[in-house]
Amino acid sequence: MAAPMELYCWKGDWGLPSVDPDCLTVLTYAKFSGAPLKVHKVTNPWRSPSGRLPALKTHDDGVLFQPSKIITHLRKQKYNADYDLSAKQGADTLAFISLLEEKLLPALIHSFWVEGKNYVEHTRRWYAESIPFPLNFFLPNQMHKRNLERLQLIRGDSWREEDEDTERQLYTDAQECMSLLSQRLAKHKFFFGDSPASLDAYVFSHLAPILSAKLPNNKLQQHLSSLPNLCQYCRAILTIYFAWEGDSGPRITPKPQSGETPDTEEEPHKRRNQVLSVLVGLLAMVGYAVLSGIVSIQRVGPDHALEQGIAMEDNEEEEE
Amino acid sequence: MSLVTDAFVSQIAAVEPWPENAALYQPLKSEQVLLSDNASCLAVQAFLKMCNLPVQVVCRANAEYMSPSGKVPFIHVGNQVISELGPIVQFVKAKGHSLSDGLDEVQRAEMKAYMELVNNMLLTAELYIQWCDEATLEEITQPRYSFPYSWPLNYFLVFQRKWEIKRKMKAIGWATKTLEQVFEDVDQCCQALSQRLGTQPYFFNKQPTELDALVFGHLFTILTTQLTNDELQEKVKNYSNLIAFCRRIEQHYFEDHDSSISSSTKLSKGPTLP
Repeated sequence: MAAPMELYCWKGDWGLPSVDPDCLTVLTYAKFSGAPLKVHKVTNPWRSPSGRLPALKTHDDGVLFQPSKIITHLRKQKYNADYDLSAKQGADTLAFISLLEEKLLPALIHSFWVEGKNYVEHTRRWYAESIPFPLNFFLPNQMHKRNLERLQLIRGDSWREEDEDTERQLYTDAQECMSLLSQRLAKHKFFFGDSPASLDAYVFSHLAPILSAKLPNNKLQQHLSSLPNLCQYCRAILTIYFAWEGDSGPRITPKPQSGETPDTEEEPHKRRNQVLSVLVGLLAMVGYAVLSGIVSIQRVGPDHALEQGIAMEDNEEEEE
Repeated sequence: MSLVTDAFVSQIAAVEPWPENAALYQPLKSEQVLLSDNASCLAVQAFLKMCNLPVQVVCRANAEYMSPSGKVPFIHVGNQVISELGPIVQFVKAKGHSLSDGLDEVQRAEMKAYMELVNNMLLTAELYIQWCDEATLEEITQPRYSFPYSWPLNYFLVFQRKWEIKRKMKAIGWATKTLEQVFEDVDQCCQALSQRLGTQPYFFNKQPTELDALVFGHLFTILTTQLTNDELQEKVKNYSNLIAFCRRIEQHYFEDHDSSISSSTKLSKGPTLP
């Protein structure tokens, strides 16, 4: 293994190393298993080699983009966080991951992407501010649509938008799921004893965004805060494994780690965007002026230049 | 089902005892029912038998459209109609019959988790094989699903359902999987179930729970259904304790006390376990 594998994921905020649950899963698993990854924290999914995030660029398997596939790949490379688990615990891992995906994930998607107030005031704002200039106008909307569709398909025919009953059912399921997790965790440090396993990566990455994001309407957070052992569990993982990245803002720390690429690429993009936006603005103003007749351009011979100049002044006076 | 109706249902349900004329509706067994639907129907039947609640199995060609949630099976008890295993378990619990009362909190959490594992992997795999594998779709799913309908409705409905399932597979990231990978997932799931079961008679030792009913419904259906190839069956057959588990439930709940005629005809019609 010459160079480390490269991981592309959403940048972090709200005290988390990444804002996206899927990216967070992979990052956390990598930390648990000690896999050396070169992490690119990006804000533009188009920069990822597969067009979506997270993506792992590997040497022999090409680009992987599903969290489960990435974790399987890491496992094959001997970075296995589940090494000490018994077969039965391995079975439990699968079962609880299914529980998370079926019960908690739909509510998580709903509260971040579908619930009107949360989406407009929090999620769309965050992504619009983070994604670079021309993309930020349509990418958040596109993601909103994709998530809405995903939710509809996961929940089947019974899902209707703006239907209070189905929504309530969604949150009841999620709250039940969190309570079950809390009961399963009880007083342990991690789900299977003292060392973290892949299940911990999944649970943490689904709970941490709920706990840290400041959504205006956060029913899930309210329920989660009533389960002190889960909150404690999330905080412990954050402080133990992401102590360097969490508090001080992720923009400072990942850069030395991920080498020079983001450093050199972020700046010119920013400058170019500024210049571009000024240009577009100017063009719009001039265009408007020309079209509405405030300024008119006429091609005149040198002899008539003086007369034309006077005529134009007249024109302006008339308009005033 | 909403919380309001939930509360309403549980209030009424608690008052009324389980009626004699309760009925379970499902698609036609020999001509129509598909792998995944049969598994869900069998799971509910097994669950009700474990609760010792009599129910008459009624086969209707349009069961899917009669069901309030659009999914089979559904039960008609008194003046209530409830579909799918989850809500039925809740409803039956409100009537005072529960299989999971003896479990502690951790066990209950594990039971729920394993139920989701079955739904997440086995059910999805069944749907995938049924609708996304071209050979199975053409040979089995298409004629069976469109059995009650004549041209052109038969093509239209099959197409519509196929499209819907494909979109769902895409949303959960299964669309890129090959058939081989799906079989591998089934194997992984069976391995997990087998590990969890170990040498116990039921998943939580002596007493059956709704998890046992669900697992039985799916595995028994997979074991006794003839598909275009045997690969799916073979995956399950690798685990001898799961086969013994299916046989145990079959003998205990479906054979000796033949309370309902239809279930015994079902089993005599379907091939018995090897």
